[in-house]
Amino acid sequence: MRLLTGEGYWNPLVWLAAAIGVVLLTAFVWTRGRRDYKRGTEQDLPFLSGEKMDGAHVGGQHLYWGFVEGLRPYVERLRAFHTGFVGDYMAWLVLMLGAVFLIVLLGG
Amino acid sequence: MNLATHAPILAIAVPLLGAFALPLWGKLHRYLRDLWLLLVGGFTAAMAVLLSARVFTAGIQVYTLGAASPGETVASGGFPIRIVLAVDALGAFMALITVLVAVVALVYARRYLAEEEGKTLALTLGTLLWAGMLGMALTGDLFNFFVFFEVTSIAACGLIGYRTWAARGPEAAFKTMVMYTAGGLFVLLATAILYGEYGGLNLAYLAAQIRGTSVDRIALGLLVGGLLMKVGAVPLHMWAPDAYGEAPAQSVILLVANTQVALYALFRVLFTLYGGVADPAVGWLVVALGALTVIVAALMAVVQTDLGRLVAFGAVSQIGYMLLGVGVGLTVIGARPAFGLVAIQGGIFHMLNDAAAIGLLFLAVGAVEKAAGGRDLAGLGGLGHDLKWTTGFFLLGSLALAGIPPLNGFASKLMIYESAFRLSPILTALAILASILLLAVFLRAFQGVFLGPRLKPATPVPPPMLVAMGILALGVVALGLFPEFFVRHLVTPAAEALWQGRDAYLRAVLGG
Repeated sequence: MRLLTGEGYWNPLVWLAAAIGVVLLTAFVWTRGRRDYKRGTEQDLPFLSGEKMDGAHVGGQHLYWGFVEGLRPYVERLRAFHTGFVGDYMAWLVLMLGAVFLIVLLGG
Repeated sequence: MNLATHAPILAIAVPLLGAFALPLWGKLHRYLRDLWLLLVGGFTAAMAVLLSARVFTAGIQVYTLGAASPGETVASGGFPIRIVLAVDALGAFMALITVLVAVVALVYARRYLAEEEGKTLALTLGTLLWAGMLGMALTGDLFNFFVFFEVTSIAACGLIGYRTWAARGPEAAFKTMVMYTAGGLFVLLATAILYGEYGGLNLAYLAAQIRGTSVDRIALGLLVGGLLMKVGAVPLHMWAPDAYGEAPAQSVILLVANTQVALYALFRVLFTLYGGVADPAVGWLVVALGALTVIVAALMAVVQTDLGRLVAFGAVSQIGYMLLGVGVGLTVIGARPAFGLVAIQGGIFHMLNDAAAIGLLFLAVGAVEKAAGGRDLAGLGGLGHDLKWTTGFFLLGSLALAGIPPLNGFASKLMIYESAFRLSPILTALAILASILLLAVFLRAFQGVFLGPRLKPATPVPPPMLVAMGILALGVVALGLFPEFFVRHLVTPAAEALWQGRDAYLRAVLGG
């Protein structure tokens, strides 16, 4: 059942057994928690900067906000290349072909 | 007639002719069309599986068209003049991937496509695309390869743009068509150059003749350029998110398989056709493009606001892992260290894993679009309340794509990480960074689309669509929990066909 990966091996069943152990441990910790939690009460409301907003939804674009904003300067540069114009796509193809020719003609 | 003997040509001819007959049955009655599709699809799948089983148990299968017997590859003058189908373990592996994807796509399409929205056309083009992919995987002839390249291009563009009432579909199809046509012309020009130089079109014959002259290298450049475009390697990937984002879901998974078949063709050119004059510089080119594709596509996925385009960039990044793995093997094939074979195994295993995981994600996106009426991340939320199965499938696909153990993406990525590390630790660092980015991107999408309060009620997903997603989900789990089984029986023979199978391929076709 061991998959040789070059430097070592990978056995997903052992990993799964360990994961089940962790889940059981987590469940045990959870059972030791507070018992005054009530589903469907205001305890269920999301905490948004202290505002109580019934039914508020943190949309997908808000998650990992800092992560995305941190990457944005780099991504915007890449995005500038994705113009959507097929003429630009062809220009990239010509450039790429030039690079490939350089490598296959000069290499080896 | 011995079906097993004729399986190579039947696996191509039946879907090709069956696709053209499909609209005629559709004119009579849609039930007759569906029955015909079931027969054609079932028979094609059976032939491809039968052929693959023979390849994996008995070795390379050759089939000569127009000869007195299928094994008569060389004509009386000692020259392979007829069209030859040559199927080694890698070709059989690709055929099996197309079977998996096509069967799932047909099951999904049963309820995903509406009759009044060109269902017959979509099914016809899908079957034609399947035939073209099988042709590319099984042929042993360079000109035939070009013909099937064009068959897949035409069918793929039709699938992307047949919904003429949607403004962006035809536009995406036009862009893809321009790129595919340019790539196809490169392949045709390379074919003409090699034919002019050696007077033959048979892949094995050409492989035996190629000496690495400047003309050979020009042909190699054209083949590599044309195929890299169809593979969608950065910076030639820009058509892919447009196409994947606009095509209907059951078509997108066929388009992804089509990309993988183009990748197979690239490997066939580099390892078999030009394997005798292997050049590490070309290996480094493939490695560099793989690393670039992995990281650029993952970064671009971060800022997508449309769920379809987000998954599309995820799909492009996975192509990078395959290029990286097989490229590492190509770079070191001269010295043949053990990690080179592991790298190729990882790259090829990732093809199968990607077909299951990214296919699952695209089908889940299709289910979301049908159930919620849109794919804009800002307008989606709480779908997990109504679409429990789809929620589970999307999460499973996301985790598998990001390489989270014990799902299938992890096993193949681990093989790529460890072997690429031996070539350069920077490659592994980039590959792991891209996986982390993809995990964040897909968890973000999952949270936004499926969790939170119900924004509006969603239409239930029809059972055939859930069954199709269930098949791929089962594949994701099975490939993840038992990777050694699949690697030993399917991936290793396919990887060895590239690593050390060139001589056997040439002998099987040319004799001696």
